[in-house]
Amino acid sequence: MRLEVDITSKEYRNAAGERHAVLAGISFTLGTGEVGVLVGPSGCGKSTMLRIFAGLDHDYKGRVSYPAGGRIGMVFQEPRLLPWRSVEENVRLVAPLVDDARLSALFAILELSAHRNHFPGELSLGLARRVALARAFAVEPDFLILDEPLASLDQALATHLREQIAMLVDDRSVMTLLVTHDVDDAARLGDRVFLLSPRPAHILAELPIPTPRRARTDAEIAAIKADIARRINGDRTERDAS
Amino acid sequence: MSRLLSFLVFVATWWIASLLIGDAKLPPPPTVLAAMIAEARTGALFFNLGATLARVALAFTLAMSLGSAIGYLMGRVRLADRIGDPWLILLLNLPALVVIVLAYIWAGLTEAAAIVAIAVNKLPTAVVTLREGARALDAALDEMATVFAIPRWRAFRHVILPQLAPYVAAAARSGLSLVWKIVLVAELLGRPNGVGFEIGVAFQLFDIPLLLAYSLSFAAVVLVIETLLVQPFEARLSRWRPRAA
Repeated sequence: MRLEVDITSKEYRNAAGERHAVLAGISFTLGTGEVGVLVGPSGCGKSTMLRIFAGLDHDYKGRVSYPAGGRIGMVFQEPRLLPWRSVEENVRLVAPLVDDARLSALFAILELSAHRNHFPGELSLGLARRVALARAFAVEPDFLILDEPLASLDQALATHLREQIAMLVDDRSVMTLLVTHDVDDAARLGDRVFLLSPRPAHILAELPIPTPRRARTDAEIAAIKADIARRINGDRTERDAS
Repeated sequence: MSRLLSFLVFVATWWIASLLIGDAKLPPPPTVLAAMIAEARTGALFFNLGATLARVALAFTLAMSLGSAIGYLMGRVRLADRIGDPWLILLLNLPALVVIVLAYIWAGLTEAAAIVAIAVNKLPTAVVTLREGARALDAALDEMATVFAIPRWRAFRHVILPQLAPYVAAAARSGLSLVWKIVLVAELLGRPNGVGFEIGVAFQLFDIPLLLAYSLSFAAVVLVIETLLVQPFEARLSRWRPRAA
């Protein structure tokens, strides 16, 4: 499984009919078992990019390719659960063939076992996000797309959920693309970090992180974060100077 | 309990009113009950109620299935909406009587003409309701179904249909009451049996107990269907919603 992306431009037409460039020059590749992290300011076009990768938007110039027939698992920014189906039924809808043992294990990891028969309306946002994660992993994806899965969760829960994502990703060795504006997520989860410019987005820099996720010390993570911050702000000062 | 009380209040009001107005115009409950029993004994009551119910069932099914399909299409496809909209406005505002009379003139005084005429009256309201439902479908859930490659039919059954269910229920509820009303007119004008026909006969003979006997038996049947079929169906559809305290 290999994702090859070369988007030269993507425009968006607003309600008034004006054209706005959203993406300008996004090109990278991602292989199996790799976690690529797209970091950029909010509104820079990250979600637009993910919609293109997920096959929801075909209106762009350039090329995105991954082997046909690859299964996609996606966690949207909002949980997007069906309110009329219980937690378990929501997961089983997208993964009708999942076996009971695997499903139970998945629910156990994400601490959802007690909520299998609850309806989404009865869950907190944090729980609903975990159900969305369970759904994405249940299809045994070849390509996992995570759109800010930890946004608007409190710090403790985000940390916990981040560890669970790391565990699931390593366990399955799936190609993963994570979008976030949180530098901490990027430093802790990513194998490669792509820094994006403000709109129209292009890739400012690509940062490989050679140390495996589990082996990263706090000092290393701090160093990576500092590096990312320096590059983002460095770009800003350059622009301000010009 | 409260339902029984409300029924008793209805009977009491009727009785008092009949005492004030006089038997000739409003017979008291026992007289009507006697007429009802007499009709039931000969079997005419059940035969006519059955004929009316069969017409209601056929016209309702026809109008609901066709109306839902057209409404869904118009809500989803812009072109279909543009083409269908003038027809819809025409049908919505066409008086029921016109449709029934024209159907009888063109197709003769036949069963098919009656059922089609009733269905045509109900069709546009089903279309309008389902079109609103289709327009209100959540695009976010559609995208979810696309990304996870849920097969088309499965997505329609489990993602689309539950979102349309409240609209289908609303169309069925309002449609059923509309069909109940129109079916009697269609029977009065051109069928040799059914509650509408019997009421027409009673009207010509000025037989008010008979008229009321049929009207009330019919109302009772409607109430039973509403309580036993429509309400449990709606309750089942909304079982996932948090209950209001």
